[in-house]
Amino acid sequence: MTTTRDLENLLRQSAEGDMDAFERLYHATSAKLFGIVLRILKNRAQSEDALQDIYVRVWQNAGDFEPGRSSIITWMATIARNRAIDIVRRRKPETDMDDREVEALVSSNNIFDEVALASDMRALDHCMGGLEEDRRKMIRLAYLEGWSRAELADLFAQPVGTIKTWLHRSLRQLKECLGS
Amino acid sequence: MMDRDEMDMLAAEYVLGTLDPAQRQSVAARRLAEPDLDALIADWEKRLSPLNSEYVAVPPSPNLFAHIRRKIEETGKRAGDGIDNIVQITMLKRKLAMWRAAAIGAGAIAASLVITVFASNSVYPPQQDRQFVAVFHRDDTQPAFVMSVDMDSQEVTIRPIDASTPVGKTYQLWIVTDQTGPQPKSLGLLENIASPTVKQLGQFDPAMLRNATFGISLEPEGGSPTGLPTGPAIHGRLISIEH
Repeated sequence: MTTTRDLENLLRQSAEGDMDAFERLYHATSAKLFGIVLRILKNRAQSEDALQDIYVRVWQNAGDFEPGRSSIITWMATIARNRAIDIVRRRKPETDMDDREVEALVSSNNIFDEVALASDMRALDHCMGGLEEDRRKMIRLAYLEGWSRAELADLFAQPVGTIKTWLHRSLRQLKECLGS
Repeated sequence: MMDRDEMDMLAAEYVLGTLDPAQRQSVAARRLAEPDLDALIADWEKRLSPLNSEYVAVPPSPNLFAHIRRKIEETGKRAGDGIDNIVQITMLKRKLAMWRAAAIGAGAIAASLVITVFASNSVYPPQQDRQFVAVFHRDDTQPAFVMSVDMDSQEVTIRPIDASTPVGKTYQLWIVTDQTGPQPKSLGLLENIASPTVKQLGQFDPAMLRNATFGISLEPEGGSPTGLPTGPAIHGRLISIEH
């Protein structure tokens, strides 16, 4: 089991140019990041290309990680999600992965072996539970699957402007519920 | 002018992922220079990050790291590749915001740089990578110089932020590219560090320039006597203004 502290050390060594440390960091984290990218891009080849870019970025930006600002996994996951969403936003809609495969990803419920976040998770869960079902689904599709406003508008049969309003309302409600 | 709530919703949707590509790119660029926006984004990342726990780990192909390693070796020059006295410039984003905060004393300079960054960013379509900025830090903390690289005009502009020249010394700018081999090549002296210095890089292949390493070293008056950096170098970091 690799601890958060181990990962931080590996990242720090990577920032100093240590490729072996970076390789260990990769092996400890790549399945998690790949899971993120694959779920958003839903195409294995594209996701592997994206994953390469993501780790090049992690290497290049390793010196920027600030432990006080976020957990290392959140930091890396953010890089991965941002990259995947940038890609998915720019491409034309297409279906690549077959539905069963997608279903398998969506329905399984296992996790980052992340420790410190249990209470944050409960809090967000609780607050998500306070949203109307449609709104909750919308937030989840956007965050987890990388859906755009337009895709959400199609699914919920609403104008894009309405989706934007709903999203903002839901996000404000979440913020208020989380107390910050 | 955007009010606080609008900016917060922009940050929230940026993190949620629902902005269109142009908006995403604009937010990604703005956060570099707007610490308020950057902080709002960080807050939303923190709020929503527990959802990351729902992503299922899926192992990528076993040989993928070899590709990553090759990419890094091809594009990234970093510490440890044998260039003494020149600290590597690395791609970097968030530090620009920190730099800007730190450079408030040099307000006019900071502001004009930031405007430059935006003006140039908005002109180019995504993924062009035509504009770069490098921040040179002294002791890894105080920004000393900011350098902008324009790939179209092949020009670098070096602006002093907080640099003073010790008596009898001068700053010298260096470049290392694949085109010129492993030895740093002088781009000349920064003689008057009270004002921006512009250097033409027309002799370099733009593709090489993109991956070039820059450094600034402190040399005896008149420049390095050996043709290679001899004095203490200033730490430089490169920021792609792509996004």
